[in-house]
Amino acid sequence: MNHLDASQFLTDQHFTTDVVIIGSGAGGGIAAEQLSNAGFKVLLLEEGAYYKREHFVMEERWAYPNLYQEGAARKTKDQAIGILQGRTVGGSTTVNWTTSIRTPQPTLDYWQAEFGLDFTVAHNLKPYFQFAEQRLNIKQWALAPNANNAKLEYGCQQLGWQYTVINRNVSHCANLGYCGMGCPIDAKQSMLVSTIPAALQKGARLISRLSVRKLVWQDDKIQSLEAVPVDAHFQPTAAVKVSITAKHYIVAAGAIGSPALLLRSKVPNPSGRLGKHTYLHPTVISGALFAEDINGHSGAPQSIYSDQFVWPADSSQLGYKLEVPPIHPVLMASKLIGMAEQHAELMKSFNQLQVTIALMRDGFHEQSQGGQVSLDQEQQPVLDYPITDYLWQGMRQALLSMAELQFAAGAKQVLPLHHDAKLYNSWAEAKAGIAQLSLTALRQTVVSAHVMGGCNMSASADKGVVNQNGRHHQLSNLSVFDGSILPTSLGANPQLTIYALVWKHCQHLIAELTPVLEDSSFRE
Amino acid sequence: MDRRQFILSGIALGAASSLGIYGWHSSFNENNDNRDLVLSALLPALLYAALPQDTTMAEQVNRTKAAVSDFMPFLAKRQQQELQQLFNLLANQVTQLALTGHVTALAQLSIAQRWQLLIAWRDSYLAVLQQAYHGLRELLFAAYYGQPEHWQALDYTAPKYR
Repeated sequence: MNHLDASQFLTDQHFTTDVVIIGSGAGGGIAAEQLSNAGFKVLLLEEGAYYKREHFVMEERWAYPNLYQEGAARKTKDQAIGILQGRTVGGSTTVNWTTSIRTPQPTLDYWQAEFGLDFTVAHNLKPYFQFAEQRLNIKQWALAPNANNAKLEYGCQQLGWQYTVINRNVSHCANLGYCGMGCPIDAKQSMLVSTIPAALQKGARLISRLSVRKLVWQDDKIQSLEAVPVDAHFQPTAAVKVSITAKHYIVAAGAIGSPALLLRSKVPNPSGRLGKHTYLHPTVISGALFAEDINGHSGAPQSIYSDQFVWPADSSQLGYKLEVPPIHPVLMASKLIGMAEQHAELMKSFNQLQVTIALMRDGFHEQSQGGQVSLDQEQQPVLDYPITDYLWQGMRQALLSMAELQFAAGAKQVLPLHHDAKLYNSWAEAKAGIAQLSLTALRQTVVSAHVMGGCNMSASADKGVVNQNGRHHQLSNLSVFDGSILPTSLGANPQLTIYALVWKHCQHLIAELTPVLEDSSFRE
Repeated sequence: MDRRQFILSGIALGAASSLGIYGWHSSFNENNDNRDLVLSALLPALLYAALPQDTTMAEQVNRTKAAVSDFMPFLAKRQQQELQQLFNLLANQVTQLALTGHVTALAQLSIAQRWQLLIAWRDSYLAVLQQAYHGLRELLFAAYYGQPEHWQALDYTAPKYR
């Protein structure tokens, strides 16, 4: 039996392994397979449950509490930004919308200039993008986009804007549209159905429903870790204690969870950057009513994006990427504006609603330095992300672009999701209306599905938490392998970047660990 | 108690002391009656025009209240405490005056007065009241529209694969 459910533990437990991986998402999943293949004893830990195809229910009321952090109601400290983040075996890869994009070159160039990270020669990511694309069947979506995406495509065509057909990590996809609730047919090539079962096959062990509370360290080494099971609502309990000792520790708990664990453990932090510079791709939303049915709940949720505005010629301007989200009742009802009649009327147009989103490329400007993870009284993470005037200005531009696009695509009315906005009947009316909106926290709806940073990579120890190989600058047997190591946001959906970076980091780690672990004195 | 809880308590304390009432204290304790009382008052206002105006309305309200109860334990403990405190303050005869501007109990307000109350929170200069508006709004709409029984107006059904 290579899976244990920690909530079933009746007594304190202790485990010993070569490598322990904390978190089973994009980073932890790739690492589990790579290290198992290399012959290491791997223990993979996950706070969420081990839900599989047969458990998934295509209803948000089941999926959000069971598969997402804080029931998909995670918020920044001032409640102004809602954050969708997975918490289940496979992490966010189990619930994401399958968009797979290589790291944009300008992002890598910026990391080289600002953080001394050179991904050109020895660290070239290109082969690792190819490995991940092959492993996870990442290919351009060959079917026609659903109507929600088709409106984005058509609007771009009408306006002469750039657009791209999205690469997706799916195999025999039935074009259902429920990727966010766990794939019911195992078409999505998430960590849940690819690297994790492969690692388990090779002898790795998985412990689910286990929350790691602390890394115990001395001098420059982690000695052990302390963990507790979670209860039926995924809250850490104190009933039994679990301790684990390993030769090497990989933290892959996501860009909120990983910094939180390192903060709880009070690890050395000479750069002062631990838990800071957390990026979100803060996202604003524009709804549009069409005469015909859009049925945005049906079909691949994301198949078209537009990079028309991601890299503005004036590099001091905030860039943003245009995509669409899937449209399901809870997601829409909770984000649409107003109440009573206004809200009920909008919900009646549910099937005629097209929704476009704009993801702000944060982290590339002095006025866009991200947020900070700290710990609350329960020692649980809370992200403070102040939205600067610079970001608000970019968001207003994005609302304008989206309204222009939606009218160009044939929308009857457009509604920016801002609590003072109304349904605008023409592009001219929307332009005037959006210019007048007071963009402030809570009045302007802002969401995020991409959390990045907080343990950033850097060539020198004074500018980051881990080095170019994801190794902690101060603790020699600690790696961080997830989205938290990104030094800025990406300007692209992050999963493929994390896959490739971690794959590369693993080759370095395997080369370094192999001689150590082959020394028989380390093996009992 | 963190800053926002302090502010919310402060509003209520101010009201209590101005009425000459002492011994009031803020409570984070889970009180199902208070939650039920507040949700029974706010759901018909927030969901007006979505809820049916017939005998099935009570059924839909009750189903939504149950969904809120089922969902809340998945929130961060911090968020649960804040929501519970809001329910306790709103249900308390003394402190609700500060939050609603009415001496009348929440349940006795007309639907229009409940709308005005929600709008006043949304437009309040106090961030904590804006947060209360948006937090409750999201929680209650999600609880209502999460139920397949309430999807008729949307002309939507969820697929079943097994």
